[in-house]
Amino acid sequence: MSPKAVQYRANSIIYFKGDQSDRIFLLNAGKVSLSYVDIETGQEVRDLIKMGEFFGVKSALGRYMREETAIVLQDSAVMVFSIPEFEQVASKNTRIITKMLTVFSNQLRRIHRQVQNLMVSDEQVNPETGLYKIGEYYLKNKRYGQALYAFKRYLVYYPTGSYATEVTSKIVQAEEYLSRYGSGAAASAAPGPAPSAASAAPRAAAAPAAASGETSELAQQYYNAVSLVSQEKYLEAFKAFKKMLDGGPDPEYTAKAEFEMAKCLFYLKQYDNCIKSFTAIAQKFPKHPELKDALFFVGRSYEEKGDKAKAGGLFKKIISMGPEDDAVVRKVRKALRALEGEKV
Amino acid sequence: MSPVGGPDLSMFNRFSKTFRKGDIIFCEYEPGDTFYLIQSGRVQVVRIIGELEKNIAILNPGDYFGEMSILENVPRSATTIALDDVKALEFSRENFEVLTLGNPQIALKLLKGFVQRIYAQKRTFMILTLDDVEAKVADVFLMLAENLSIDTTSVDSIEFKNTVDDLSHWAGIPSGQCREVLNHFVAQRRIELYPDRIVVKNINDFARFVNSRRKHQEK
Repeated sequence: MSPKAVQYRANSIIYFKGDQSDRIFLLNAGKVSLSYVDIETGQEVRDLIKMGEFFGVKSALGRYMREETAIVLQDSAVMVFSIPEFEQVASKNTRIITKMLTVFSNQLRRIHRQVQNLMVSDEQVNPETGLYKIGEYYLKNKRYGQALYAFKRYLVYYPTGSYATEVTSKIVQAEEYLSRYGSGAAASAAPGPAPSAASAAPRAAAAPAAASGETSELAQQYYNAVSLVSQEKYLEAFKAFKKMLDGGPDPEYTAKAEFEMAKCLFYLKQYDNCIKSFTAIAQKFPKHPELKDALFFVGRSYEEKGDKAKAGGLFKKIISMGPEDDAVVRKVRKALRALEGEKV
Repeated sequence: MSPVGGPDLSMFNRFSKTFRKGDIIFCEYEPGDTFYLIQSGRVQVVRIIGELEKNIAILNPGDYFGEMSILENVPRSATTIALDDVKALEFSRENFEVLTLGNPQIALKLLKGFVQRIYAQKRTFMILTLDDVEAKVADVFLMLAENLSIDTTSVDSIEFKNTVDDLSHWAGIPSGQCREVLNHFVAQRRIELYPDRIVVKNINDFARFVNSRRKHQEK
């Protein structure tokens, strides 16, 4: 079977509105118009088909009723395709499809916008609020990995948005729950950056800020920098923490900021500096609540540098610090297995 | 959406991305400029409506999603979550043409998907432009029946696995108002309302009602 060439006389009708057919047409010569009622205005519209243009495509492909009447204005030569024949031709010339995709997408965009304008229900949510609410939903339903995704994306798009502060502290909360309880979601199991380490410093910071009911300027600076970390903008984050520390020591935030800076160094692949910073933190705060995390970063830095012996030694040390079911210890055990597996 | 008939996609491996089970691939309301073709694993499409996560679809290898993003900058209209470990090809507006040129089947599939979406939107538009709230809700039932490919002229009673929130969404009215309409239909014994489903006792009655409202409006 191949497409048929058909001649149409002036004033004849190729198809009527309401017909159902799987034929697709291509105008080769003559003049054909499509007449239809615009669903927005209720007005009758007539569109002329250009030479070399397909028509009847949508209703044929979608197997819907014709939405327009195709009227022959002057004697015309038309090629008639079945769907398989059309697909064959289009497959050989994908530009046909690309062009149609553009046309259809424009139509879709227009009708989509009209539909949205008519939706007067509680549906209309601005994207910023919408994204925040999704994070909230998953957090509330203890799906921490998914909550984290939504909140972190929020900070990427709206770093200074109206929920940015709340989101930052909710990220901390979600990460804490994630490391404590795990999640069906995979964020905790993802390779690479250790998510629970990210929760380390801000976890403690979130509490007093929440308790006082407002966020101090320093806390705000700190949260902004933490949000940069979550956006993986490590260099900018490092600079922001640095600027914060340049303002003088603070009993609450100095240690946390130093910790975060050392972490940024790791992601910036500044392994020597990372080792130096975390070692200094470990010496300065031997009872740091996130000491295991700090040591883990040191171990990973050695691993990255190719010093597997030192990395392995540190990993073993962290494991020996216990307890066995601690999230960090579990993570380190996995890292150690990977490291030893690599040796073989 | 059915699987693509096995086109050779090895040349697109550089666009390959993996997601772990439970990972969000993208979130509703996120701006998006990529679309995905699933190679392995399943993807769940959900929307959070009120306090409920509603399953929209489960997609399989060969299916694509996020395609609207390559053509316009609208926020994502749903959230997609990896139901298994998922491998997918990620395409952007820039490399989309490479894909269509190399894979007419995929381009055709996209084209058909667009056609369906245009019709679905037009159908919704018809509902939304009805003046009468009861007619809107009745027309939503007709649309849902059409989506289930039920010939409304040959059956009377239809059970819909939909909730009041679904109905209010499609009718474009607040859920409180939608509930009032449905309660009125219940009082008229036209429907039975359950928490997880709604039974329309005589769909033809709704068809006649909607048609008469539409004709009345056109005058």
